[in-house]
Amino acid sequence: MSLLRSLSDGLRSLFRKKRIGQELDEELNGFLEMAAEEKMKQRMSRKDALRAVRLERGSLEVAKEVVHSAGWESFVETCWQDLRFAIRMLRKSPSFTAVAVLTLALGIGTSSSVFSVVDRILFRSLPYPQDNRLVSFGLLAPIERDEFMLGSSYVDLGKQFGPFELLTAMAPGATRCDLTEQNGIRLDCASVEQTFLVTFGIQPVLGRNFLPDEDRPNVPRVALLGYSLWKSRFGGDPEILGKTISLDGKATRVVGVLPSNFEMPTLSSADILLPLALDEDRQRRANPGMVLRTFARLKPGIDVREATAALQPWFQQALRGAPPVFRKEIRFSVRTLRERQVGGARLASWLLFGAVLAFLTVACTNVANLLLARATGRQRELAVRAALGAGRSRLVRQTLTESLLLGVLGGTAGSWFAYFLLRLFVSIAPQGIPRLEQARMDLRVAAFAVGITLISAVIFGLAPALQYPTPESLIGKDVPGTTRNVLRQILVATQIAISLVLLAGASLLLRSLWNLDNIRLGMQTENVVTEYISLGQSRYPTPEKQLAFFAELEKRVKRLPGAISIALSDSLPPYGQMRSTIFAGIEVAGRPLFSQGTGGPVGWRAVTGEYFSALSISILQGRAFQKSDLAPSENSIILNETLARELFPNGNAIGQQLRLFRIPGPWRTVIGIAADVKNDGLTAHTGPEFYLPWKNDPVESFNTAYVTVRTQMNSKSVATWMREETHGVDSAVPVTIEAMSHRVSKLTARPRFNALLLSLFAGMGVLLAAIGIYGVVNFLVEQRTREIGVRMALGATPQGILKMVLANIARWTIAGAALGLLGAWVCGRLMQSLLFDVRAHDPTLLGLALALLMVVALAAALIPARQATRVDPMIALRYE
Amino acid sequence: MSDKPSDLIQGTLDMLILKTLALEPMHGYGIAVRLEQMSKGVFRVNAGSLFVAFQRLQRAGLIKGEWKATENSRRAKYYALTEQGRKRLSSETREWGRQVAAIARILEAS
Repeated sequence: MSLLRSLSDGLRSLFRKKRIGQELDEELNGFLEMAAEEKMKQRMSRKDALRAVRLERGSLEVAKEVVHSAGWESFVETCWQDLRFAIRMLRKSPSFTAVAVLTLALGIGTSSSVFSVVDRILFRSLPYPQDNRLVSFGLLAPIERDEFMLGSSYVDLGKQFGPFELLTAMAPGATRCDLTEQNGIRLDCASVEQTFLVTFGIQPVLGRNFLPDEDRPNVPRVALLGYSLWKSRFGGDPEILGKTISLDGKATRVVGVLPSNFEMPTLSSADILLPLALDEDRQRRANPGMVLRTFARLKPGIDVREATAALQPWFQQALRGAPPVFRKEIRFSVRTLRERQVGGARLASWLLFGAVLAFLTVACTNVANLLLARATGRQRELAVRAALGAGRSRLVRQTLTESLLLGVLGGTAGSWFAYFLLRLFVSIAPQGIPRLEQARMDLRVAAFAVGITLISAVIFGLAPALQYPTPESLIGKDVPGTTRNVLRQILVATQIAISLVLLAGASLLLRSLWNLDNIRLGMQTENVVTEYISLGQSRYPTPEKQLAFFAELEKRVKRLPGAISIALSDSLPPYGQMRSTIFAGIEVAGRPLFSQGTGGPVGWRAVTGEYFSALSISILQGRAFQKSDLAPSENSIILNETLARELFPNGNAIGQQLRLFRIPGPWRTVIGIAADVKNDGLTAHTGPEFYLPWKNDPVESFNTAYVTVRTQMNSKSVATWMREETHGVDSAVPVTIEAMSHRVSKLTARPRFNALLLSLFAGMGVLLAAIGIYGVVNFLVEQRTREIGVRMALGATPQGILKMVLANIARWTIAGAALGLLGAWVCGRLMQSLLFDVRAHDPTLLGLALALLMVVALAAALIPARQATRVDPMIALRYE
Repeated sequence: MSDKPSDLIQGTLDMLILKTLALEPMHGYGIAVRLEQMSKGVFRVNAGSLFVAFQRLQRAGLIKGEWKATENSRRAKYYALTEQGRKRLSSETREWGRQVAAIARILEAS
């Protein structure tokens, strides 16, 4: 009640200041008059009476002021005053304002935009309720880096289990499926258990989840539609429930629609969810059964470690069911869902975030330095204010208002900058950074930006504000502000240290990028065009039809002008989708089977004869496949160098007989050894690999394939022709055409992105540090102009002066550099796993970074220091 | 005690103003004179403190002001106790009495 009254009264006096002031005037005047009348009754003259009243009761002007400043509204008013004053001051020195705002905008802008990227990866919760209790669990094997389970052991696990509240399984990856209706489209269908939505806590926006009875084999099929598919294909029609659509020719009833923010825990795309319809009996009988991705919701209060421990007994049992060769190399793992999704991007994200915070610190330090210099220049003004009665808190408030204003200006500019920077990031960022496409400036990021703006404003504003002016500064004598100078130099040392850490980090990343770019791939990627073709089950259901398509396509592409060689293969190096088996699955004629575990994975591809010439892979021994090898009756095989060395250390591989896949298949003759080609990304060692001929043998399935063409022509026009030719065979087949060099450069895109950003921050950090050093030296020189003049008058040489000025700054620069080296050492260790073929503490790189920084620092210090040597003693001595 | 007017004990001004207003509404100068009279010249209140106190009491809803003509037909703002102010006065008087008695006991104990 009284608070309300105080508020309304205050507001009234704020907005009707004049009236209220008049009222107070009248009241006080009345007071004065009455008191004076009283005195005049005692025969005083009016003048004396008024004087006596003033003596007794205090000056009415002061009374007015006191009354006025007693209410809370006066606080608002002085703030407004401070603000207007701050605006005036900033406008008076536009260059200072511009530099400060620009520096802040750079710092705040980059940090907000980077925050909005890493926020999704590191901090923000996943779109599932209580996402921290969701885990991915199961087995890890050498050929599978994410948790999986085999059908039989999953079925044995049952539905209630120890540390889990709920658990569920889905088929690994989405499968392509066709909506076989008019204007059919190709979709991603994911098969999940009925418990899937419950475990993840997802509610359909329309309709319902699958019923347990619908998640069985041999029952009419039902489906849940993805939100965007529902909107785009079915116009968001709520009547869709209960309707039947045709998927791959099978009638499927729609029972629900997923929410718009739904995403698969594997982050794969899914337009439609289908019941997994796991046949428990069959899985048990088929032991080990199909591969499943398994997820669970932990019971409240149980963490990942406890869950892992609790599941050990079960794991031991499941292991007994696994094929003996796998047993040794299988591990059991429980990971949080976030860990599974962003595992690889986590370190890089932290690195980026740390770098940008470091950069922000440098920016803030610079502004603090600028403000300190300014505060020194304004010592006299502040002293006058203090002499006129401004208290310490009043002065602090005024200075803080100024820095807050700077902060707000910088923050506003920074937010715009962040917005554009984020769009730039998204456009240049490589694929595969999780959730990048979702990154945008929103309330959270805005809160972050506002937070750092305020914090940095207060931090850099407080330093200069805390010194209450001494009386000496009134007469303009510079008090040797030692504390302030030390503070400034500490700030410079900090900048040097941080910049050195950034530089060292950037140099490590750049060096490792250079190593990556110059890696020996084992093939020539220039002038090679690749085309990925996925035929789809509905149009090409049989291997015969698929083979016929590819044969026709090969014939057509061969006729293209400039095509030197053309190859078909089921996969392409240096990454992705290579089929694989295990080393123990390869049987050499006349030798016992390999019995020490699996021996690790061995990759393989089916290729046509010109594969090796198209990619310029050299054949080290023997020969490449010829036309005759592609005949169904022929059984030849080519090994890569690594596999040949592992199988036949004596170098007598050619002519040996092999049998593959641990099935009693045909014996195959080794006809050649091909040079190693990177087949597991760029950074990993080249794994063992073999090639089988792409046979015109209708036993195999050729649903997807790559066409590789080496040309003499511009690859762009070749790409267009290839697309035309493919559509000439079948216009409905989707194709992806890419230059081979582009395919490879995609692999370095992420390290390139990291290196680019870190170099950017390091460069800007060094620039800011240089500005900081320049500012400090300049300030020192200005402050000591008189002293320098006296020294020169007494016979000091310019060199001596230069040495004196530089020695001062050198101390702090060296201290900063020492600190920076320490930081760089720690930082290098942390980022070791992001590096390729570089030692984290490479002394050359660290030395280079240090040298670069020192040169910049020296240059920045030299400009104002040289000015000091040109001081004219006469002018300097008169200078006041 | 010296002849010079002394400063008020911290925080008692509000209570004293309420007390002077308990009898009848009064203007600022009247309150000042009354305080001086009642204290037999011990308390002489500065105009600044007085008017700040008025503003404070008004905002707390303990007194309310109204412009009226004085007996000398001058316009002045008369302050009057509100119901809330009356309650506050009696509670503070009680509390004050208790405290004074307690202090007196302590001082006399030695």
